[in-house]
Amino acid sequence: MTHKKRVGLTISYIVLILISIIWLFPFFCLVLQSFRSYQSEFGGMVNYLVPKHFSLDSYKFLFSEGCQFTRWYANTFIIACFVSVLQTLVIIFVSYALSRMRFAGRRLLMNIWLVLGMFPGFLTMICLYFLLKQLGLTQGGAVPGLILIYVASSGMGYYVCKGYFDTMPKALDEAARIDGATRFQILYQMIIPLSKPIIIYTMLVSFMAPWCDFVFASYVAFGKSDSYNVAVALQRWVWTNDYQGYFTRFCAGGILVAVPVTLLFMFLQKYYVEGVTGGAVKG
Amino acid sequence: MKEKNTIGMQIAGFFKWIGADLKDIGTTFAGGDFRTRISYIIMGFGQLLRGQWVRGLSMLACEAGLLYFIFGFGMQYLKDFGTLGTSGRGFNPDGTVSYGDNSFFILLYSLLSIFAILALILLWRINLYQNKEAQHLLAMGKRLPSNGQDLHSLLDHNFDKTLLALPCLGIFVFTVLPIFFMICVAFTNYDYNHQPPSQLFTWVGLENFRNLFSTGGEGYGSTFFTVLTWTLVWSFFATFLNYFLGMAVAILINQKGIKFKKLWRTILVMTIAVPQFVSLLYVGKMFAADGLVNSYLIKWGLISRAIPFWTNPLYSRILIIVINLWVGIPYIMLIATGLLMNIPEDLYESAKIDGANAFQMFFSITLPYMLFVTGPFLLTQFIGNLNNFNVIFLLTQGKPQSMNLKGGAGYTDLLVTWLYKMTVNDTNYKTAAVIGIMVFIVTAVISLVVYNVLPSVKDEEGFQ
Amino acid sequence: MKKRIVSIMMTGILAAALLAGCGGSKPAEQPAEQPAGETAEQPAETEAVDYGSGEIKIWVAENVVDFTKSQCDAFFAANPDMAGYTVTVEPVGEGDAAGNVITDVEGGADIYGFAQDQLARLVSAGALTPVTGDEQTLISGWNDEASVNAATVGGTLYAYPLTSDNGYFLYYDKSVVTDPTSLDAIVADCEAAGKGFYMEINSGWYQTAFFFATGAELTYETDDAGNFTKANVSYASEQGVAALKAMINLHKSPAFNNGSSVSNAANCAAIVDGTWDSGAAKDLFGENYACAKLPSFTVDGKDYQMSGFGGFKLMGVKPQTDAGKLQVCKALAQYLSSEEVQVARYEAAGWGPSNKNAQQNEKVLADEALTALGEQLQFTIPQGQYPGDYWALATSLGDSVISGDYDNADDAALMAALQDFQTTCEGYAQ
Repeated sequence: MTHKKRVGLTISYIVLILISIIWLFPFFCLVLQSFRSYQSEFGGMVNYLVPKHFSLDSYKFLFSEGCQFTRWYANTFIIACFVSVLQTLVIIFVSYALSRMRFAGRRLLMNIWLVLGMFPGFLTMICLYFLLKQLGLTQGGAVPGLILIYVASSGMGYYVCKGYFDTMPKALDEAARIDGATRFQILYQMIIPLSKPIIIYTMLVSFMAPWCDFVFASYVAFGKSDSYNVAVALQRWVWTNDYQGYFTRFCAGGILVAVPVTLLFMFLQKYYVEGVTGGAVKG
Repeated sequence: MKEKNTIGMQIAGFFKWIGADLKDIGTTFAGGDFRTRISYIIMGFGQLLRGQWVRGLSMLACEAGLLYFIFGFGMQYLKDFGTLGTSGRGFNPDGTVSYGDNSFFILLYSLLSIFAILALILLWRINLYQNKEAQHLLAMGKRLPSNGQDLHSLLDHNFDKTLLALPCLGIFVFTVLPIFFMICVAFTNYDYNHQPPSQLFTWVGLENFRNLFSTGGEGYGSTFFTVLTWTLVWSFFATFLNYFLGMAVAILINQKGIKFKKLWRTILVMTIAVPQFVSLLYVGKMFAADGLVNSYLIKWGLISRAIPFWTNPLYSRILIIVINLWVGIPYIMLIATGLLMNIPEDLYESAKIDGANAFQMFFSITLPYMLFVTGPFLLTQFIGNLNNFNVIFLLTQGKPQSMNLKGGAGYTDLLVTWLYKMTVNDTNYKTAAVIGIMVFIVTAVISLVVYNVLPSVKDEEGFQ
Repeated sequence: MKKRIVSIMMTGILAAALLAGCGGSKPAEQPAEQPAGETAEQPAETEAVDYGSGEIKIWVAENVVDFTKSQCDAFFAANPDMAGYTVTVEPVGEGDAAGNVITDVEGGADIYGFAQDQLARLVSAGALTPVTGDEQTLISGWNDEASVNAATVGGTLYAYPLTSDNGYFLYYDKSVVTDPTSLDAIVADCEAAGKGFYMEINSGWYQTAFFFATGAELTYETDDAGNFTKANVSYASEQGVAALKAMINLHKSPAFNNGSSVSNAANCAAIVDGTWDSGAAKDLFGENYACAKLPSFTVDGKDYQMSGFGGFKLMGVKPQTDAGKLQVCKALAQYLSSEEVQVARYEAAGWGPSNKNAQQNEKVLADEALTALGEQLQFTIPQGQYPGDYWALATSLGDSVISGDYDNADDAALMAALQDFQTTCEGYAQ
């Protein structure tokens, strides 16, 4: 190894370590704050990093009688699971139809969806709220209501999956059709088994999204705290003045949300990379 | 000019098609047997009599359902569509309330009824077509498709219809209908002073658009253009800074000789995995005037008073772009890593032989390749950033506001966060609707321009 | 080609089913008859009134949820004839409650607590049942005059006063702040200690501490429907300029922080805040906890005692279509705002009563924070009705000060900014 190369590598390592510190620092702080003692240092924000006393106060509070954290967590988990499965099914169906089949109006349909996607999602919030309310899916029914909303429009997010299907040779289909397989059988017995990476990617992405929705979820739950998801419930602890000294609890709650989602993500990272890369190339 | 011609031709073609279709309706009736003719009124009648009861029954059920909906339900709203309601709310002597017309539902259900009428016309036309075809087949002495065949085709030739039926229905109810509704709202005075069920709202024409663009008096004009400009500037930086720096980090990690590649990537990817409402809310607080960053800078004597990260318009704008790097770089890094490996190694080898250095190789090989492959992706990123609600809202909620900006807008507000605040804080739906339409126009214009300029918009069939 | 039609029909059926589903909920929307001029007979006051049954939804702030639940239980125990109703109490803070109810009146809570600044919006959104007749006399008699005025729009009482403690004063750290009567001294002490002085000057609510102190005026008049008819503003005046200068001076101090939430104040030696934070402030300052009325400030050699709003928390009843339920809701709201419950609420959560008798309760009189507030209230004006746009505008003014827009502005420039502010304020009244 030449001297020049070694200097280059050393600089690269230094830069990488710096980047890593910057990237991990906020999470590190978050963890530290969540272990700050509520008893001796109050739960508000502080301007120092390392707590004077470590304790599990904040975590204990989350699982205490008076706090509905487990309920909110369960709500979010249920929503995420249903959305993950249903949305993936919808996306596979739409992608298959658009990728493997040719029918009148196909181009038109794709163009209409493209145009619809250019409207900002928040525009229609008030209308969606009243639509859901007509179906009885707000407040107490917010969990199924949110699932319905997330899944209903998911057909428009077919791009990545269709891009993947497009790369599979059409000759496969034709051979199967000559053997007398129906379109349904081709999808069920051939395409789906071959699409494991993209299916996992779609499921992962749609599983992660509901954990972060605090806008529409709070609209639909409409003041019914049994129906909140974690994002709606926790953001109030930071933004609403009713909750004094809840900052460390917010950090603790955030950690409990982040850890499983992050682990799952790390575990399936390979598929995620495949999905986003494919999506980016197809545009 | 060419553009105009094609549009003109399209319009002419459309009317020609309508004409032909009307003629076909006439000739079908003239040449139809009694089954076909009765089907003009009772949909599915002909199919039923010809033994195609699956088709016949579904047609009949649709007609009955849609007619019931239109006349039993939709009409009472549709008749008020012009005024959006006339009778207001009142209190009874015993203190209870009687709600009058509800403009919101009049508008919503009128739209739904209009769609129902269109659907009925479409089904009616299909019904005529089926009758004509059946008659034709029978006249030729051929057999009609059996009910079993009809059903089976839903899993085969017509599998696309089966697959798309539910997704299309979902998109219609929860995307198309609401969007049409909100477009209508942009032409009404639906706001905090005209809120159903207690109050009525009504049509006001283009007043809201005038209000958004007028610069004097109550108009939002100058605010709108400030927010729009920042939205575009933000999108530009958020897209391209992330893109180039993300690529740089990918190249850094991909270098030969760097160990623990997977570890570095995993560290960066944390920001994708951790839900943003946790990480960004926390990071935002770190930069508060009394937050961690300022406190330590003061403690170490680097500054004497807090840097107004979130209260100075310029600082907050810069900081938002910087924090967005923290969010966005890992994402680009992942994509770039995969793509960089696809660049043939011998391209670099031959460049090296020609004496090119690392920078030259980057600008002559890597960058052109990446830009070519990810062109459309950059466009979607740009449009995604125009509507990047989470980053802005979790960090600043659009603040700082200023006396120079109206309607509660702040210097870091994007159009979409402003729209959100209008909807949730001010229940000013009319202005929110107009802003939403503006977002659409901006997005559409940018997409059209870029698509026409970009060379790499691919023929999708080319890939198969 | 032909077979495709079948599946289109399937789609149609699904659509039809959905449309019919929407239709199911229709009857409720049937336009009701205009009640104007109609004289329905009042239900006769007999022994056993049938109040019917159902659910009553209540929204209150998180820290009084349990308290409210137990009080509701007590209410139904005392009124078994109304026990057909079940009560659900949800923790929805005052700001969220008003926002939600305004978004969807019919979906909102039947009884909800809110801060009075939302009253006019709630009335114009039709989210409150007027309190009329004998009940009005009763409620007006119970509570102090200012709180009744705060619950009144035009000539109509719209809500039940809960507290008279929605004002602000100073919490401070005894070990840092030596003289809490002078803003300059407080800021100097904070600077010396490297600590912060917190005041949310970008809020229309706290800002008035400066403007009203110098004698600038800002009030609105409303009609019965909650529409603003007239604005009395004198911000564009010497007094206004003096107040704005004081804000600018304060913002220039490195000790100044914009904020009014104890738990978000990371480096706090003094904070302008209200009674609802007294518990948090005690936790934060520990044994150095102290509170006092707001300090005075000096502009161009002249001293002004900080003023501000004295505000109130109110409880409202949503308009009801069912007469029985309306009566139960009203009775329950009356009970929850009565003397005993106000005293009990003070004991449970520290909320200062609006009920005149409750205010004379020994424990209430002995409360440190409420005493500081009481001293401050002598210098404040009772908060009236303000249009929602005012609060956004005031935030803009405050943000302009904080971002340094006016740091080098001369009197004329400040006057121009205030003139702009005043004109906009006047524009909110039709």
